[in-house]
Amino acid sequence: MKELTAIELARRVLHLIVSLFILLCVTFVIGRVLPADPVGAIVGELADPAAYEAMRVRLGLDLPLYQQFFIYLKGLFQGDFGQAILTGNSVASDMLQAFPATFELATLAIIISAVVGVPLGLAAALFRDSFIDKFARVVALVGHSIPVFWFGIVGLVIFYATLNWVGGPGRIDVFYEGMVEPVTGMLLVDSLLVGETEIFWNALSHIILPAAILAYMAMAYITRMTRSFTLEQLSQDYVIAARAKGAGPARTVAHHVLPNIAVQLITVLAISYGNLLEGAVVTEIVFSWPGIGQYMTNALMIGDMNAVLAATIIVGFVFMLLNFIADISYAVLDPRTREVAR
Amino acid sequence: MKHFSKGLIAGAAAIVLGFAAPSVNAATPDDQLVIGTSLAQVLSLDPQQATEAKAIEIMSNLYDRLVKTDRSRKILPQLAESWEIDDKGITFHLREATFASGNPVTADDVVYSLARLLKMDQAAAANFKRIGYKADNVDKLVRAVDPKTVRIDLSGETTAELLLYRLAMNVASVVDSIEVKNHVENNDYGNAWLRTNSAGSGPFTLKRWTPNEMVILEANADYVGGAPHMRRVIVRHVPESQVERLMLERGDIDVASALSAADLKTFESQQGFEVQRVPTGGFYVLSMNAGNEYLANPKVREAIAYSIDYKGIEQTIMGPYGRVRNVPVPEDYEYAVPNPDWHFDAAKAKALLAEAGYPDGFSLTLKTIAQTPRIDLATAIQGSLGQVGIKIDIQQGNGSDIIADHRARNFDLLIPQTGAYMPNVLGSMEQFSSNPDNSKEANNAGNFVWRSAWDIPELTALTAKASLEPDAKKRGELYVEMQQKFVELKPAVLPLFERFEPIVVNARVKDYVGHPNQLTRLEGVTKTSD
Repeated sequence: MKELTAIELARRVLHLIVSLFILLCVTFVIGRVLPADPVGAIVGELADPAAYEAMRVRLGLDLPLYQQFFIYLKGLFQGDFGQAILTGNSVASDMLQAFPATFELATLAIIISAVVGVPLGLAAALFRDSFIDKFARVVALVGHSIPVFWFGIVGLVIFYATLNWVGGPGRIDVFYEGMVEPVTGMLLVDSLLVGETEIFWNALSHIILPAAILAYMAMAYITRMTRSFTLEQLSQDYVIAARAKGAGPARTVAHHVLPNIAVQLITVLAISYGNLLEGAVVTEIVFSWPGIGQYMTNALMIGDMNAVLAATIIVGFVFMLLNFIADISYAVLDPRTREVAR
Repeated sequence: MKHFSKGLIAGAAAIVLGFAAPSVNAATPDDQLVIGTSLAQVLSLDPQQATEAKAIEIMSNLYDRLVKTDRSRKILPQLAESWEIDDKGITFHLREATFASGNPVTADDVVYSLARLLKMDQAAAANFKRIGYKADNVDKLVRAVDPKTVRIDLSGETTAELLLYRLAMNVASVVDSIEVKNHVENNDYGNAWLRTNSAGSGPFTLKRWTPNEMVILEANADYVGGAPHMRRVIVRHVPESQVERLMLERGDIDVASALSAADLKTFESQQGFEVQRVPTGGFYVLSMNAGNEYLANPKVREAIAYSIDYKGIEQTIMGPYGRVRNVPVPEDYEYAVPNPDWHFDAAKAKALLAEAGYPDGFSLTLKTIAQTPRIDLATAIQGSLGQVGIKIDIQQGNGSDIIADHRARNFDLLIPQTGAYMPNVLGSMEQFSSNPDNSKEANNAGNFVWRSAWDIPELTALTAKASLEPDAKKRGELYVEMQQKFVELKPAVLPLFERFEPIVVNARVKDYVGHPNQLTRLEGVTKTSD
């Protein structure tokens, strides 16, 4: 890790921008060469050639690829992602609607996975080769290898259809629909803002299962990483010394291990967070969750490339941004880097 | 580290609270109907634009038409109280109805709506254009006699009966012209606005539409037939069949469509649910590209017709979705001819291939949308064609790319599906029997037969003749001749199965009756308490 100077910071920002631009180019080209037919999707299967051609021109699809790209880029700088075929709205306003739903889901998921995964990883390392360690390893392995799709269906069968513990697919029960005006777009927050606790509980009962399932995927990774970070610390002289002086496991963890692995953990959490936003795609379909993943999938199905591009760019941007923040926080927080910086 | 442990406690508290939350009562309220389906293809709720089945189902409740058809396929009055037919056209007398806005429904609204359909000239207009109603003659042919009387002249390419059936279609919905004109931008006939709003005289109004999430309809208390029993109708987007099944079982939704065959099966034996098999008059079809050197040969097409195990597929794959039928007219329609003797006969198919000059067979690709039941259908066809020496390579894709290939004649074999716009031979067969110009330059991608490059001048002429024949008996004879000719030509658009739309309805719901053209009306639907 290099020291964090202004030049270094600028270099990283530049790096972020270049990555984003490459993402944009690749997505754009793939989107335009795909054999999808957005024109057909708009004018309908039976439209005559003249109406078809007129729509093609209106969408600018008759222009050479580089010109289309240039026009798209120009719009992008003005905050204009184009119009979505899927909804007829501007893609930007669609994003403002879909993103909070995904954000809410992924945020709750990362909280759950951190709250469960970090202690589990710590315990596994402290009591190495014990029952709890084996348990943690099995949990992590299962979470890593079974598809979200399957977990989602099984979760619904058990907790929703059989036990009746949680609400079903969707963000809220239908008869509450339209009762809370969106402020942040996050139902849990919005319902509390207007003091509708009943709706809050209902929304919570709907989000808890998809969030827990998403969290499980991330938790597997977090548990494994926490365990290995902790093991590394436990073999350090200072920890051995502390334990020799009679520090119990709790004290060892709280005073010695956690502070030293905190920065690494932040990186892991940031990466997981990014993965969650991405992994939400499948979860959203299973749970009929009206977020960015479902929006993107549907857009892809009808060849609505403006919508796909925007969703890809936003998810990609958040992903890169999280990595960037993790990177910077590493440099800022790690005591060893700070030492060098002085 | 203090922050960290605080977050830890807060997070843990949130989880505990989550599980302690009062469990929700799932049953839907008695005055709201909740329908679960896939809304993925709903792109517009403008009746003069959208032609997708799910969109039609919603719009049929927002708007009224001059006339309607019921499940028994009779033409009945809706906005028109009565009408007189003469040699030159039809005169309609409107009933006293109002739009949801409060404006009265007048002849001007009817004229505006039909002109709007043809002048916007989207796919929705195809059915009227086919019988000679165009943007440049609609103002002459459709006019208001007085505020409550509309006169529609025949175009010269249709009979009054065929016109009436078209007027019962969703595309002929009557919109509130005053309201729509208030929302016109750049000469778009109010299209941008009407895509997401409603301006009709139907039993419901559009309260909210969030694409791929839900559509909420609200009862129109001033509906001419009286306020509907349901206060709200909610159509929820549930793309996953298994999830939809769970929601139906739990009572979170009342009606489910778009279920997979396997999930449908579980409801057949389950108490408290009714499975409806709604006939569409349409077909699952095997399109063969007659531009392909092998498929251009009628002998090869006949060999293929003898290479498919229709009965076996019907039993194992189609289930509630289809019934064997190789003539593009449902067998219970008037003047429908019996099925030709096409059945799985490997020896006969091989002999036909040898006669055609291909004793060793050949290879073809088969394109299909990856969707129930079409994908399983493709696999079954691959298997049985393999037995007669035709090697099939299946290529699956999503709706837009497969349709694009179909439009561009870029396929060997492809599995599309059709629907019938009216319940008679012409209504379901026309798409299979008319191709006025087969040349590549005609680029007539809107024509189903053109897409298969199947040149059928005689059959096209017969179809046009039948469309113009005013005498019902003579028309019936032409209908029979059309079907016989179709079979004789060894069709490049081979109907495989008559298509049904299966839906499952919770027994609490009364009087929900699926309509053959998706024009299912909901004003009469009631619900009993649990």
